[in-house]
Amino acid sequence: MDFKKTKNDFPIFRQSKHLVYLDNSATTQKPQVVIDAVSKFYSEQNSNVHRGLYDHGEIATTLYESARQKIASFINAKHVEEIVFTSGTTESINFVANGWGLSHLRPGDEILITQAEHHANMLPWQYIAGKTGAVLKFIEINPATYLFNDPERFLTSRTKLIAVTHHSNVLGPVWGNNCENLKKLISSAQKQGVKVLIDAAQIFAHQKFDVQALNADFVAFSGHKMFGPTGVGVLFIKKDLHEEVNPFMFGGGMVNSVSWESAKWAPAPHKFEAGTPPISSAIGLAAAVDYIQSNFDFNELKTHQAELCKTLVEQLNCISQVRIVGNIQLIESEGHLVSFAVEGIHAHDIAGFVGSKGIAVRAGHHCAQPLVKHLGFESLVRVSFAAYNTIYDVEVFVKELKSAITIFKK
Amino acid sequence: MVHDELLEHFKYPCNKKEIQNPDFAANSENPSCGDKISIQGIISGDKIVEIGFGGSGCVISQSTASILTEYCKNKTIDELLNINKDNILSLIKLDLGPNRLKCALLCLQVLHEALINFSNKKNK
Repeated sequence: MDFKKTKNDFPIFRQSKHLVYLDNSATTQKPQVVIDAVSKFYSEQNSNVHRGLYDHGEIATTLYESARQKIASFINAKHVEEIVFTSGTTESINFVANGWGLSHLRPGDEILITQAEHHANMLPWQYIAGKTGAVLKFIEINPATYLFNDPERFLTSRTKLIAVTHHSNVLGPVWGNNCENLKKLISSAQKQGVKVLIDAAQIFAHQKFDVQALNADFVAFSGHKMFGPTGVGVLFIKKDLHEEVNPFMFGGGMVNSVSWESAKWAPAPHKFEAGTPPISSAIGLAAAVDYIQSNFDFNELKTHQAELCKTLVEQLNCISQVRIVGNIQLIESEGHLVSFAVEGIHAHDIAGFVGSKGIAVRAGHHCAQPLVKHLGFESLVRVSFAAYNTIYDVEVFVKELKSAITIFKK
Repeated sequence: MVHDELLEHFKYPCNKKEIQNPDFAANSENPSCGDKISIQGIISGDKIVEIGFGGSGCVISQSTASILTEYCKNKTIDELLNINKDNILSLIKLDLGPNRLKCALLCLQVLHEALINFSNKKNK
């Protein structure tokens, strides 16, 4: 397919004609169909869900529950009730930490995460470890290959939960070709009854994700990183665990019956969704899934973004001051982001300079402070692609990067 | 956004030196971006007579430290404690958004901490 035309689907590129948007790992832009779905909901369909016994109430409920069904099919969940709407990846992970971790972890139990986690998949576990007496352990990153060496060796008889990223927001692919090492780790973990949470925030705009094939117990992701609205995310909870996971929040909509003293929860997923859910955003997210499915072939999308990465890597390799941080072979074959440092120049100066030329990239520690420090850097520049990016975007960025280096080098 | 005067201060900073036996000193860093600033100085009467800074980081954080330390010379402690965000922005001739403001204000925070510690010690 012709990705050169994809930008036409996104009105922001008509508004800001010279915008070169390369910060897609932070959030993607929104296609017109998503904006229209949200706008239509508020203009024509708005009502709360699961309550109103009138036309708008029925329509809103139908749309919201259809969105759940659409997400379930998209990730190949076996049961629609395995899809819980949250505010985003961060809430989804905090949900598991509080709703499962607090009641199932004991002193000395081990929570296994990796050194490459986003703070969203690290701080909840630091907190829960502190509360329960569990021990937080880290799968180590090899600073030469930027991959995890033999991650299964970190699994012990005391491991109760593994919570790991599928695709690092700093390094890109970290689990070998097609995540083969992650698949092996999940399979070994589950043989000994260890629960597995996948932080899949960086996946859904870029590649196919089959929740049954991966066989994780929990999967967390955000709508706004896959062309959907902000304020909505998903927590997939495998059906077998619906009884042992407690609600994270309590309030309206999640109960069957309530007395002065106690309450009986509604069945999942409703018991996991107290209060008014992000209705319009969930409907917008369903429109984003429709957009992805009707416009992209995942194999072509993967090739397209990997080619952008390869072109960028080749051009960066011609600049002597640049050091790329990540496994280059995997970035060039299945990546969608490239992080790098420029010797002697702070990443914020690079990002600020190219930003003044209309190019959006991210600079800093990317919410992974310990990782960036561990690898020996203060801050990194990150270029992250989505379907609508083109070789032209790469070329404009590299040209301005070279200007920035000329200006700032001492 | 970064103008030539700032780049001059970044590449050829004023007062980038460590003062031995300082009367006042402090250091801090901005953990979110890694900018680091330390400031030391000598006071005679109630005026700053010598000042130096050290550190590393982005152009804004380092050039602002250079400009601010130049400005400090022969000023009183009270004058310097009255400097605020707007004074810094007019000194560096930049209008910064919320994401970069902290880079420019790091050296002011360090200077104020050093001067307040000095005043507290003197008043004991």
